[in-house]
Amino acid sequence: MALLQISEPGKSTMPHEHRNAVGIDLGTTNSLVAAVISGTASILKQANNSNLLASVVNYSSDNTIVGMEAKELQIHDPQNTISSVKRLIGKNLSDINPKNYSLDLQDKEGVISIKTNQGDKNPIQISADILKKLKITAEETLGNELYGAVITVPAYFDDAQRQATKDAAKLAGINVLRLINEPTAAAVAYGLDQNKEGNFVIYDLGGGTFDVSILNLSKGIFEVQATHGDANLGGDDYDQAIFNWLCENNKINTSNSITKQKLYALSRKIKETLTNKTTLIIDEKIDEKIHIKCQLSQKDFEKITKNLTKKTIDSTRYALHDAGLSVSEIQGIVMVGGSTRMPCIQNTVENFFKQPLLNNLNPDEVVALGAAQQANILAGNTNDNLLLLDVIPLSLGIETMGEIVERIIPRNSTLPISMGQEFTTYKDGQTAMIIHVVQGERDLVKDCRSLAKFTLKGIPPLVAGAAKILVTFQVDTDGLLSVSAKELSTGIQSTIEVKPSYGLSDEKIKKMLEDSFNLAKKDKESRALSEAKTEALQLCEMIENAIKVDSGLLNKKELNLLQKNLTELRKLLDSSDRKRIEKLSKLLNDNSQAFAAKRMDQSIHKALTGKSVSSMEF
Amino acid sequence: MTQNYFEIFNFPVQFNIDLNKLQKSYHLIQAEIHPDKFVSASEIEKHQSLIKSTKVNDAYQTLKDPIKRAKYLIKINLKSEQNNSALPPDFLIQQMEWEEHLESIWEQKKELEKFKLTIGKEYQKILNILENTCDKNKNWNDAMKIINEIQFIDKLNHKIIKQINAIETK
Repeated sequence: MALLQISEPGKSTMPHEHRNAVGIDLGTTNSLVAAVISGTASILKQANNSNLLASVVNYSSDNTIVGMEAKELQIHDPQNTISSVKRLIGKNLSDINPKNYSLDLQDKEGVISIKTNQGDKNPIQISADILKKLKITAEETLGNELYGAVITVPAYFDDAQRQATKDAAKLAGINVLRLINEPTAAAVAYGLDQNKEGNFVIYDLGGGTFDVSILNLSKGIFEVQATHGDANLGGDDYDQAIFNWLCENNKINTSNSITKQKLYALSRKIKETLTNKTTLIIDEKIDEKIHIKCQLSQKDFEKITKNLTKKTIDSTRYALHDAGLSVSEIQGIVMVGGSTRMPCIQNTVENFFKQPLLNNLNPDEVVALGAAQQANILAGNTNDNLLLLDVIPLSLGIETMGEIVERIIPRNSTLPISMGQEFTTYKDGQTAMIIHVVQGERDLVKDCRSLAKFTLKGIPPLVAGAAKILVTFQVDTDGLLSVSAKELSTGIQSTIEVKPSYGLSDEKIKKMLEDSFNLAKKDKESRALSEAKTEALQLCEMIENAIKVDSGLLNKKELNLLQKNLTELRKLLDSSDRKRIEKLSKLLNDNSQAFAAKRMDQSIHKALTGKSVSSMEF
Repeated sequence: MTQNYFEIFNFPVQFNIDLNKLQKSYHLIQAEIHPDKFVSASEIEKHQSLIKSTKVNDAYQTLKDPIKRAKYLIKINLKSEQNNSALPPDFLIQQMEWEEHLESIWEQKKELEKFKLTIGKEYQKILNILENTCDKNKNWNDAMKIINEIQFIDKLNHKIIKQINAIETK
């Protein structure tokens, strides 16, 4: 989106210039920001000197409070304090159980909305407030404006959750270099790129999500083989299990949200204490009526959470199966996420793989550290030869007759990926059709997650079955879907209207952004003009450089056309005619696509032939 | 990039390929053209990188998998994806025997694992026949029939693995 361009007019970034790039772990319980400083990835400390920013936001007054301070307000002000918002992002009300929340949750056009003293807040806005805080920390520590960030998401996040996370970053004014999967980031942090080869399992149990990924490492290439998990399973569920156990054993039945909050806090404390203690005696006065007196051992805790832990092992089995690997073919297991501190988890995973686990890095920090390293590479600050080849975690399909799902892109396909599918009309003269895209592994539409409905318009009116529409589904390296369509018999490009089933439309995001900038109309225009000029200048520079190096790839006619476009656009850069600048930029852009394609082919050719035979046959 | 998938990796257009070399070439190419290498580049380069990287991924996935590779080879040679060939009668009988056997050992993990090995050997055997049919005889109609057989065996194999998993997760 043009509104988010970071560099200023005339300041094109030279390759050697250092760019401030950070890695952000936007977690369910805590969030972190990290950066590579003097070659080492480190966590940037928050204002209170802590490495962690509690992912809690309080909206009781006009002043938005984020972090530990907000968390402390939660017990007294549960209605205005939002924690674990990651569990709500990219979802609608029917996906969750509102009873588990002490918040006033509503549905607002398919998006969850929370009533607070500051007005209605949706999960994207709340996440953006957390991200804004991290951005400030980063800019204050690094001393300069942020160039961009790599933001991590659970590998098992679906398209809607990824899109919502990216939208939150946009809203926070952060240039997203890439969304990467948390397990992949952890693998990078473990320095598995350094001389390690083979298959590794990343077991990631966070506050609210569980992911398991199987990666193959070879000469700095991280190729994800398979991923599996549960976007609704995490440490919070272990708290819930203790909460339920407490209520059952002490015959508590309360609907008071403050009492509930206190019980949840106690449950969490019990869980954390049981990490180092084998037995715990609980003697805690919750309020006037409730006084808890009981005892819980590590063994009993293991028992009451056994079904949760088993779910993670089942997921691991599926991932191994998808990767076509057996336990004996695994060279190492990386443990990620604060919840993997629980002894019952450590023991179960170790027993399953029959080998010691890799857990020497702080499981809370490892994801942010890996993301920082990847951000540093993507920003071009280092020549580290590392490439992440990640996969789509869930299959994409479309609805067909009888509400059956036809799979278009199978899960665990390496990204980026695209698939074409042909459709035809059902009635004579039909000029539009709706395509319903879903994500999931089940055969029935109702068992999958509805992502979006696309309306194809402008189909030429022909007899039924004569029009052939090729719809292309493209999933990019962030795991995000885009769709384009073309009528084959006439070559007419159909227009597509996308109506997301969850989350916000592009226009709404744009509107929220504009509102947050609160720009006057005049400011908007001058901003748009300077952006158009910057983009045009960058385009000219890029193409001029490309011509300098590779003019041999162009014939005389093509070269002349590009040079003519370039001269005209260069001349326009001194004017204030934004419309014409944009028009000519687009023309130059279109005319140089073929040239760019040829250059890319040349890179492929060089990649294979430029290397000596001996280095090919390692 | 009008090259076919084999040409992208500098391979001869044939069924038998060096899978090690395929992976190495794939990595070398992606290291040059993957969208991660163009994060700060112009929109044109980003767009082209996405297109090419997608195509290389597709090519890699197609060639890596013997069934997909054989189908692609037939498509190139016959210029058609139609596969109307029926399974030969003796294979149908074999198929029924396997299905019956699987049913009789459905709850026995050890037997399932033994059967998995048998099926694995069968898979390898037919794969060799497929290679001969494609690379030596270049008989694409026969190749289509063999692909049908392999696909059945492949599905059977997955069914066995899934059931072994199901027993283990109980």
